[in-house]
Amino acid sequence: MDGAHVAAEAAHAAGEVAHLVASPLPVLLVLLPLLGAALVRPVGKRWPGARNALVVATTALTLLGAAGLIPLVGEHHRVGAVVPLMIGELTFTVDSFSMLFALFTSFVWLAATLHSLDYLKHEKKHDRYHTTSLIVLAANLGVVLAGDLITLYLFFEALGLVAFLLVIHTETDDAKKASVKYFWMTVTGGFALLGGIFLTFALGGSGAIEPLPAGHGDEVIRWAAAILLILGFGVKAGMVPVHVWLPDAHPVAPAPASALLSGVMIKAGAYGIFRVMTGLFRPEVAEHVEEHLWHFSEQLGLAVLWIGIATMFIGVFLALQQSNAKRMLAYHSVSQMGFILAGIGAAGYLSTHGAMGVAGGLYHVVNHALFKACLFLGVGAVYYRVHSLDLYKTGGLWKKMPITFVFMCIAAAGITGVPLFNGFVSKCLIHHAIVEAWEHHGLASLGIAEKIYIVTCGGTACSFIKLIGLMFLGKPKMEYGPEVTDAPPRMLVGMGVLASAIVVLGWFPQLLLKGVFQPGLHTWGIHGDLLDHYLEHYFLSASDLMSVVIAFALGFTFFFVGMKFHLFHLHAPQYFSIDWWYRRLARGLLRTCVLADETYEATRRGTSRFLRRTVSEYHGAVIRLSRRRRLIVATALTGAPAARDQHFMQHAYVTLERERQDCVRQAVAEALAHMRDEGRSAEDAQTIEIVESVRDIADYMAQRLMNERMGVLGDLARTDGLGGAGALFDDALPRLREARGPIVRTAIELAPRRSVGDNVTRETAAAINAILGKERFDQLIAPALTAPQQIAGRVLETGTSVKQVLPSHHAIASAGAGGLTRLERAAAWSVEMLAIVVDALTRERTGGITQRPVDEETVRATRLRIQRYARDIGLNVAILLLVLLVFIAALAAG
Amino acid sequence: MTTDATGSILPLFAFLIPIVAAVCTVPLQRISARVRDYSLLACGAAVAVLAVWLAAGVAEGGVYETFILQLTPDIWMYLRVDAAGALFGATVAVLWVLALVYSWGYMAEGHRLGRYYSFFMLCLGWTMGVAYSGNLLTFLIFYELFSILTYPLVVHEQTPEAMAAGTKYIIYILIGGSLVLLAIVLTFFAAGQQTLTDGGILSAEIGHGRLFAIFWCFIAGLGVKAAIVPLHGWVPDAHPAAPAPFSAVLSGVMVAAGSFGIIRVVFQVFGVEILREMGVAVMVTWLAGITVLFAAVLAVNQDNLKRRLAYSTISQMAYVVLGVSLLGPEGTIGALVHITNHAFMKGALFLCAGLFIRRLGVHRVSQLDGAARRMPVTAAAFALAALGMIGTPPLSGFVSKWYLGLGMLETEHPLLLVVLLGGALMAAIYLLPIVYRMYFREPVLTSDDRITAEGREAPASMLVPLVVISVLTAALGLAASLHGMPVWLARIAVEGFFR
Repeated sequence: MDGAHVAAEAAHAAGEVAHLVASPLPVLLVLLPLLGAALVRPVGKRWPGARNALVVATTALTLLGAAGLIPLVGEHHRVGAVVPLMIGELTFTVDSFSMLFALFTSFVWLAATLHSLDYLKHEKKHDRYHTTSLIVLAANLGVVLAGDLITLYLFFEALGLVAFLLVIHTETDDAKKASVKYFWMTVTGGFALLGGIFLTFALGGSGAIEPLPAGHGDEVIRWAAAILLILGFGVKAGMVPVHVWLPDAHPVAPAPASALLSGVMIKAGAYGIFRVMTGLFRPEVAEHVEEHLWHFSEQLGLAVLWIGIATMFIGVFLALQQSNAKRMLAYHSVSQMGFILAGIGAAGYLSTHGAMGVAGGLYHVVNHALFKACLFLGVGAVYYRVHSLDLYKTGGLWKKMPITFVFMCIAAAGITGVPLFNGFVSKCLIHHAIVEAWEHHGLASLGIAEKIYIVTCGGTACSFIKLIGLMFLGKPKMEYGPEVTDAPPRMLVGMGVLASAIVVLGWFPQLLLKGVFQPGLHTWGIHGDLLDHYLEHYFLSASDLMSVVIAFALGFTFFFVGMKFHLFHLHAPQYFSIDWWYRRLARGLLRTCVLADETYEATRRGTSRFLRRTVSEYHGAVIRLSRRRRLIVATALTGAPAARDQHFMQHAYVTLERERQDCVRQAVAEALAHMRDEGRSAEDAQTIEIVESVRDIADYMAQRLMNERMGVLGDLARTDGLGGAGALFDDALPRLREARGPIVRTAIELAPRRSVGDNVTRETAAAINAILGKERFDQLIAPALTAPQQIAGRVLETGTSVKQVLPSHHAIASAGAGGLTRLERAAAWSVEMLAIVVDALTRERTGGITQRPVDEETVRATRLRIQRYARDIGLNVAILLLVLLVFIAALAAG
Repeated sequence: MTTDATGSILPLFAFLIPIVAAVCTVPLQRISARVRDYSLLACGAAVAVLAVWLAAGVAEGGVYETFILQLTPDIWMYLRVDAAGALFGATVAVLWVLALVYSWGYMAEGHRLGRYYSFFMLCLGWTMGVAYSGNLLTFLIFYELFSILTYPLVVHEQTPEAMAAGTKYIIYILIGGSLVLLAIVLTFFAAGQQTLTDGGILSAEIGHGRLFAIFWCFIAGLGVKAAIVPLHGWVPDAHPAAPAPFSAVLSGVMVAAGSFGIIRVVFQVFGVEILREMGVAVMVTWLAGITVLFAAVLAVNQDNLKRRLAYSTISQMAYVVLGVSLLGPEGTIGALVHITNHAFMKGALFLCAGLFIRRLGVHRVSQLDGAARRMPVTAAAFALAALGMIGTPPLSGFVSKWYLGLGMLETEHPLLLVVLLGGALMAAIYLLPIVYRMYFREPVLTSDDRITAEGREAPASMLVPLVVISVLTAALGLAASLHGMPVWLARIAVEGFFR
């Protein structure tokens, strides 16, 4: 059959189905579970039984509705509905593939819901579980029935986020950890998906799930869009390398939820990848003949095929190392998703000849949903009775739980691909697809892929030999109580329907192949007759059976070798695990955020501190500058250092006060020592009294002394000015200390008398007079008065007298309002300025002196400043006089 | 475009009613607190109804205008309700009324309520004026009034932190305000007093140098309010210090007023052609992009809930500026819609934060463990708003982000999607752990009697606004495409901008 003919025929077929037949059924299918979910809580609060009935009825009705799609789609090929919501509108389009997904979704959901009614007995929050479950069902149906990418994204996000509640349902620590990981990967995947959807718009897409126009947008964006979309869906699908949440999240959920997560929800991801592959990145049906348009989808198909191969192999490899049954099943979910991806990838790679890949991939989707759900439910039933999931601790359960055992065997036969069970058909289809892909362009690497495929099938077989063998056969490794009997009937019904579906699909593959895939493929212009070929020539053919035998042989070999050499307990170093790297990445991201914030805050604090310091330094500089300016002016003209006396007096007061206190302290200390010498104890009441007397006397005397000294200084300041007295005062300090000895002695002598009530005033006064007479404080200080300082001390007077001599502004103004010459005006101005200057300079300057604690350092610094100031004053006065003379001369000349 | 506008007195009422209410607050309070509350509610509701009614009229294609005052022959005050203004005005009024009702409960034990309510209403009036300004002078007057008169609300608590935050706020705002004034004066000399017109009032003839100067003065001045990154410093301090209902308004509407101003400037002062020719918009895009990611990164490490939300506001408002700076129709729709959507979502988050403070005495994220058990409705509202903020469909946040994303592709900047989605991912990182804490961590019970295991849900007067906002958040997303919804109004505005 030549290509042009096929394309023409396909275009014809496409034209036939281009128009959508409107039907509200898809919308109802989504709304029904939502409605049920809204009712769960109000009903469940009072009547749990009615709630259970409600949940089952809702799920059953949904299944019925999905079945109602069969005749519709069979007749019209594409059925759709439009709801004006969100951006523009939500569209729903159902073709054969959507119908297939909707069917098995609601079918498995019904089974899992039945199972959950009993299983949840040892869990809490039944209402939450059922509400969540129904919402997720609605979202899942929304995903598979969606007609455009936005609707798809809406339901996909809802599915991912709400399913979080299923994962965390038990609220154990493990569940919390797993669900947090699940959540972040879902959210990140969701954003990748959204990014991909955006990019399809850059490629000329309209949001509809239709082939993107060829040759629109550049290649980089096309690849980016494809990668983001596949990554976004792949997170949900458990695709390597974004599968890491799956083995954690699926086992911790309650078993029916695990069944749904593994059996159905990850298929939403597979569905997405399937649509991306076959819906978006595929030439229009009318353009099929042009080989080069297929180039991109072939490349993408090859990539997905290899991702699939990697996923299946890694999944099975890790599954073999698990001892927890649910965890093992979860890894098998990863692995089985690899089969599905390989099928879809092969379909893309084989372009128009990809029927086998599509059929294999999707057949396996359905199969996996059935057997994986059944396996999880079975394991859940075991857990329900035995409360253990460890493969190496249970055993021999087939006697206790025979019906469960049968169902588990059927499911295991399905997953390992035993002929006449459903897995056999899909695995063979995928195998054929890979072989065809190999033969298509003769890529040698695909030959290796085929070998890996067989080995993986062997690994799967081994794994389930392990599961059935260790858990159900052999000898019991633990004591089972009387409660370990077969699962309750509702659980068994749940598993039973799944198991029967497994068998039916194994016996009658044409149900799906001819009933669903061929018409679906036909609308895309893909050669559907390959499937007829398969049914006629390959189904249960010797070569296919042979490959199963090889797989099982490998499986048994792996099992016995592994058990013998304990290979099932190997653990790779942690940096081999992608999970470890993700965790590091996440932690790194968080740490970066924290670091960024800390750096920012530190910078901010630093900046504000810098600003504050700058401001205060500016203020300081302004003050310093104005002081300097005043100093310069004062040095240039004159100085009236009235403030320095004040400073010196303060300094002197502080020093003398300290001396006084030291003196009293010394007196008390010596008195105590004296008492101790006399053998009196310090606590003795009399001793205390005497010491107090010493304190009083010494205090009185020291105070008198200090008053005298301050008096001397005060007189000096008032009469002659203190000048350079500071230096002399400091030199005199050791002399002042000499007075301590007499005071202490007098106090100790007089204390006993005072303590008994005698009046000792006369004696103390005499002692003080003696000390003062010896000390002659005024003479110690007096030589400091020198000639220049005396002059400086009179600057004030000079200023006043100058002011009096100078004519006032008013006088000048009134003297010759109009008759002054220019020179006279200049002179008048100068005089006025001089008056102001003199006024400013003779005014007492105290501004700008900041209060600082007086310590040794400042005292010394102040002293130095005062000395320097005094030294300059001679010059100042001379300059002042000179200036005065010049002005007087100018006046006289004018 | 004054020709096709309908003269109407209604826009005048939109800002007069609140001002009259503000003046009457204290006398009314003398009568009784209840009278005050209900009168103010009546006034607020009247403004909200008016604003929504005007928006509905504009959605039908109408434009309303009112001349207020002729100041000099060259300068006059003039109100004009076009699509962008009507959308912003309706958002402001509705959010304000909800915050007002919430204030009853929140401020019940507060001090100086007369001052609080009076300024609260006053600010509503000025902000409505900003929304409906018809020319730059009117815009300036209302903008400055509401910026400066917000100060008493920022420092209302009068704690040292509040006072410090208030000082910071007023310094930033005054500097920004001066720049806006400068820009408007420059514009006046370049183009005269003109009605804000789609397509711009400046002409390219005045020379690139002056155009640059005007543009950057506007961006820097309005950028202070819109919290573009080097100018954002007041936001993270002012929000935690202010009372929660006012934080909601501050974050939802006031910061947005800056972004709204930028929209006016870009499309109605400069016009798309001149800006494309000047090529300055790219720099604004960069600034906004950096702001989105930088603020989001900083938000992650904030333990104070309101502070975290404040950083989130900076990040989210930068989306608006980003969308505008793309100079494409879809991006601008995204920007306009995001102002509205963000206002309600962030409003809800701040109201929740206020409830946690009042009912649990909790300010910090790390103390919120198990809060959902004690306050189920509040926690649910918080979760909903947080999901909306991240852009989860079908909530309203998704709608604006969708249009922003389309805008990026339409103007051929696919790499900006990294900013859009990165910001959203960061929003998930700083918001969702809070939700997780509330629902799945065991509450730490202390001896403090304020914290008990259950039953601390807020009174109805505080829950009603919260629930209404949550419903709005969902409704604005679900019904985004319907007639008269924000997207519709934004589309009318954008059709004008890009004519």
